[in-house]
Amino acid sequence: MATKPAVLLVDDNPADVDLTRDVLSRCSCPHEIRSVGDGAEALAFLHRSGKYAKEGRPDLVILDLNLPRKDGRAVLAEIKADPSLKTTPVVIFSSSPTQRDIRGSFELGANSYVTKPGNLQGFVSTVTSIGEFWFGRAILPPRKNS
Amino acid sequence: MNGSETDILLVDDSPEDVDLALHALRRENLANHIQVVRDGEEALDYMFCRGQFASRNPDHQPRLVLLDLKLPKVDGIEVLRQIKCNPHTKIVPVVILTSSKEERDLVNSYDLGANSYIQKPVDFDQFRDTVKQMGLYWMITNQSPLANGASHHKGAGR
Amino acid sequence: MTVEAGTARAASPPPAKSKPALKVLQLEDSLEDAELVARELRVSGFDAVCHTARDPQQFRLEVRAFRPDVVLADYNLGQWKGIEGVEILRQEGLDIPLILVTGALGEITAVECIKQGATDYVLKDSLAKLPIAVRRALKEQQLRRQRKEAEEQLARSVKELARSNQDLEQFAYVASHDLQEPLRMVAAYTQLLAEKYEGKLDEQADKYIRYAVEGATRMQTLVQDLLAFSRAGREEIETTETDCNTVVQQALWNLEGAVRGRSAQIRCGELPTVAANSAQLRQVFQNIIGNAIKFHGPDPPRVRIEAQRKNGEWEFSVADNGIGIAADRNQDVFAAFTRLHTRDEYPGNGIGLAICKKIIERHNGRIWVESEGGRGATFKFTLPVQNQLPGKPQEGKQDNGDQTSGAVSR
Repeated sequence: MATKPAVLLVDDNPADVDLTRDVLSRCSCPHEIRSVGDGAEALAFLHRSGKYAKEGRPDLVILDLNLPRKDGRAVLAEIKADPSLKTTPVVIFSSSPTQRDIRGSFELGANSYVTKPGNLQGFVSTVTSIGEFWFGRAILPPRKNS
Repeated sequence: MNGSETDILLVDDSPEDVDLALHALRRENLANHIQVVRDGEEALDYMFCRGQFASRNPDHQPRLVLLDLKLPKVDGIEVLRQIKCNPHTKIVPVVILTSSKEERDLVNSYDLGANSYIQKPVDFDQFRDTVKQMGLYWMITNQSPLANGASHHKGAGR
Repeated sequence: MTVEAGTARAASPPPAKSKPALKVLQLEDSLEDAELVARELRVSGFDAVCHTARDPQQFRLEVRAFRPDVVLADYNLGQWKGIEGVEILRQEGLDIPLILVTGALGEITAVECIKQGATDYVLKDSLAKLPIAVRRALKEQQLRRQRKEAEEQLARSVKELARSNQDLEQFAYVASHDLQEPLRMVAAYTQLLAEKYEGKLDEQADKYIRYAVEGATRMQTLVQDLLAFSRAGREEIETTETDCNTVVQQALWNLEGAVRGRSAQIRCGELPTVAANSAQLRQVFQNIIGNAIKFHGPDPPRVRIEAQRKNGEWEFSVADNGIGIAADRNQDVFAAFTRLHTRDEYPGNGIGLAICKKIIERHNGRIWVESEGGRGATFKFTLPVQNQLPGKPQEGKQDNGDQTSGAVSR
C-alpha cells in the first residue's frame, strides 16, 4: 500500500508554517503535511493521544527549536529516546545558527539540522531542498503498524 | 587547495560506484577532500584512527560519511553501529548509500542512528544525479555539527 | 571673649574651642618625660589627651581600648624596645603613626627605626620639633586614607561598569535575537505580496510595496549585523588548531557569487595553522575579502592574502586594488556603524569591520588598515603564534622570496 509520505511540521510561527507548507506543496514529490504549534502538541500528535488518536504516524518531523509549552530540544530528546519513535527522521529547522544548538541537536540524535534563512529567496530554496531530499531521494523508514 | 581535513568519507567496495560518486561530488565542487575506503575494517580504522590511519588526527572528523551496507570484512551495519555508539563519532552524519532494498536494512539503519538512507539507482545518470542532490543537501543545506565545519550558507542570509 | 556682630574676623589664631583634639598613647616608662611631651603638645595648640603604656601587653590593651591617633614611643623601655610597637600595631591591623621620642639615638639606629616602620623620630632634647612631626604624620595618614578610599571607590565603579556593560550586551543580544523572527515575517510576506500582486494593483501600490520590502530587508541585515556583533563579544571563544588556508577557502566559497560576479582574482599565499575559533576567523576573512571585492575600482578586483611571522606573531594581510580609504579615516572604518559612503553608492551597515575588530581583539590580536584614497587598501591583523607541538609543521612560507621575516623553520 503506497501512501504519500506524511510530514509533521512543528513551528509556533504561523507565518513560517504557511510559507513552509506553500513551498513544500510546490515540490515535485507528493506528500501530506500536518502542523502543530508547540512542543507538547507535537508529542501528543506523535503518541496519538487525545484528539490525535486517529492520526497516522508521520514519516518525517520538521522541528523548530524555540517552541512554547515544550522546547524543541526536549521534544527531540523524547522522540529519540522512545523506541517506538526514534527511527522517525527529525530535521531541525531553526533560525538559530549557533554551533551550540547545531552540535547539541546532533548529540540528541537529530538526523539533520537546517538553519532558517533570513531572506525569502533563501527560505524558499532551503525548504525546497529539504522537501526534495527527504521526499525525493531519501528512503524513509517504513511505518510501523499501530 | 589545501585540504588537510576530510570532508567526505566514502565507504564502498564497488569501483564503478566509487568513480561515479566521486565524479558527481567533484563536479559540484562539494568537497575539497574525499577519502575512499573499500571495506568496513578500513572504514573503522579511519574513523577511529587505527591501523593505516593511526596518524590521523582524531579531532578532525569527516563532515559526512557515505556508507554502503554490503562490505567485505566488516559489514556496513556494524560500521554504522560502531560509529553511532561511540561518543566521539556519533554526531558525524552518516548517510547509507546502498543497493539494498531490504526492509530489514532500512529499519536497522535508522534504528542504529543513520542520518538518512538512500538506495542507489541502477541507471548511471540517475545515480550521478542522486549523489549530486544528496551531496548538495548534506554539504550545503545541512549544518555540520563539527566545530571546524564551515557553514556553507549559500542562499542564506549572510 | 566677645564677638562683635557684623565685624570681620580678626587675623589672630582661632579661639580655644577649635583646637584639634588628639588622642596620644605614649610608650614611656618615665612619668616626667611623659609629662614633658604632653605639655609640649598642649602648648603648641593640640588638645591632647595622653595615656601611657610601658610594656607590650599594656600597649596592646590601650591601643584597642583607647584607639589613639598617634603613638609616641621611647626607644628604651627596659626589656622592650619601643620600636616593636610598630609590629603590634601591624598585628592589630591599625594604621596609626608611631613617632620615636627618645634620648640620644645614633643616626644609624634612627634610620633603622624608620625602615622598621616608625613614621619619624624626635630627640627629647629637641621636643619643640615634636608638634610639627605629629602634624606631618597625621597629615600623611589622612592622605593615605583618602587615597585608599579613592581606590576602593574606583574598584566599585569599575565593577559597576562591568556589570552594566554586561547588561547592555545581553540586552543588545536578546533584542537583536528576538527581532529576527518578526522581521523575517515582515520581509518575507511583503516580498510575497510584491511577487503575487506586482502589476495587478496600481503603480502607487507597487511603489508602496517596494518601499516596504526595502525597509524590511534593510532592517533585517541591520539586525543580523547587530547580532553578529553582539555574538562576537559574547560567545565563549573555543579555539582549536585552525588551518587558515582552509578557513580562507571556506570564506571564498561563501563569497563565490560576488567573486564570480565581479570577476575577482584572489591569490593566497601559504597560510599558517593557528589557535583560533575557526568560524569567527572565517567571518573575519569573509568580511575583509568581501569588502575588497565590493569596494572595487574601475578594474576587476584583485586580492592578495598573505601571512608573515613578525615579532613573535602571525601578521596576515589582505591587499586589494580597490577605491581605498582616505588616510585620515583609516582608524574610523573599524568603528561600529561608520559608513564612508551613501547607501546609493555602496550597500551595507558599517558593522562588518567592527565585528572583525572585536573578533581579532578577543583573540589577543590587533587589526588595522593601511590605505590612501584611490590606491587600494591593505587590511592587516595579527594573531598570536600557537603553542607548537613537536613534529607539526607550523611555519608559513613566504610567497615572495625577497621578504625576510627571520622565521626559523623546524
